Amino acid sequence: MGDRRNINGTTYALTVFTAIIPGHEKEVLAAIESVPRGAQSPLARLGTVHTSRLQIFDHLVHQGPSQSPDSLKSNYLVFTAAFDGELEPFLDSILDRIPEADGWWRHCVGYPGLSARAEFKRWIRHNQIHTSLFAVNSPNRSVSEVVESLALRDQVLEFAISAQGLDAAELQARFRHTFVEGK
Amino acid sequence: MSTVGVSAGASQRLTAVETAVEQANPALSAQLAGNRLGRLFCLTLFTPIRPQWVPVLRAAFYLGKYVSLAQTHILQFNFIRFVRWTIVSPELPFNGAPQQRDKLKYHYLFFESNFDGPWQHYIDAFAYCIPMDIRFCWGRGFDFPAPPPSEPLKRWIAMNSLEGGSYYCAYEHASTRMVAGALTVRERFQTLVAESQQLDASAFKAKYEQFLTDVQGHL
Repeated sequence: MGDRRNINGTTYALTVFTAIIPGHEKEVLAAIESVPRGAQSPLARLGTVHTSRLQIFDHLVHQGPSQSPDSLKSNYLVFTAAFDGELEPFLDSILDRIPEADGWWRHCVGYPGLSARAEFKRWIRHNQIHTSLFAVNSPNRSVSEVVESLALRDQVLEFAISAQGLDAAELQARFRHTFVEGK
Repeated sequence: MSTVGVSAGASQRLTAVETAVEQANPALSAQLAGNRLGRLFCLTLFTPIRPQWVPVLRAAFYLGKYVSLAQTHILQFNFIRFVRWTIVSPELPFNGAPQQRDKLKYHYLFFESNFDGPWQHYIDAFAYCIPMDIRFCWGRGFDFPAPPPSEPLKRWIAMNSLEGGSYYCAYEHASTRMVAGALTVRERFQTLVAESQQLDASAFKAKYEQFLTDVQGHL
């Protein structure tokens, strides 16, 4: 039941809080800030991750006089991701294709390492906090579908500009050559 | 078509300027990387919930998943890509020593939104268009500045926004509206390709021009 709350259409929202080993905060910060951005990110290798964030929670913001002061005893590495599909294959893909994950999670309490597959999955699930409500602008659209659509949009625009002024026969021939026969 | 060309060019220039600024200032770049990438921003808040409001919020989120009107309402702004609310229990996940067990005084609301930035514009839209929703989610928190106006809310968000870290998006240079538009273009285009097989040249040209007319707002 809890797991279904993380899902909207074909997209899964994962939220994981893992306590950082006391004294290892600088190492975690260095590890997550050194993760390459954009297409060079290790997450790009998976081809299923829409968005993801890694950040450190090291304090609670006091809201004002009406709140009783509250504080964290541990600092946490918080990992969130919105990805296509279910959690199990996503964790498999991390295990298989993101060795860099050791770099940020090995400073967390109880981390079993990527080499211990079953223990790693249990550890992630143990530290997962289920989503209460997840809303998606374009549900049921995979990363590859979005990326391909954006590329097609550019291609259509380019074609429309280059095909201006063609007569009907030339237009149809070029269209077929570009989009049908060229496929 | 020329308008589209200008728009795409402006977008590329904006990205180039951002890249240049960030290359000139690596410290700024690292700070921005935590919640900004290309056109996309990520806002993360972690705020306490008054105890008596927890069951109400839990019920509302439960219903929100199954009442399509609620989701439509949330996503009425075409600059929001993903948004999640998570009620976090006072006892955070515990993994044994050397972790010290955290038993907080309150439940907390973990909120993460991925949207076309900057967040100041996002908050203006929220504060003036859906103030009741904002009050419902956070208004029973502590010392919350119920909107409108938006300026106190912006100060509250700036105070609570959790910065830093690392941020990723698979298509960071496309706005949420561009993504929705591209998906529409693709659907219409597939229809055009299918129909083009059976048409003679002049009928195809008419279909093609109709297609461009239909999707020009998305190009």
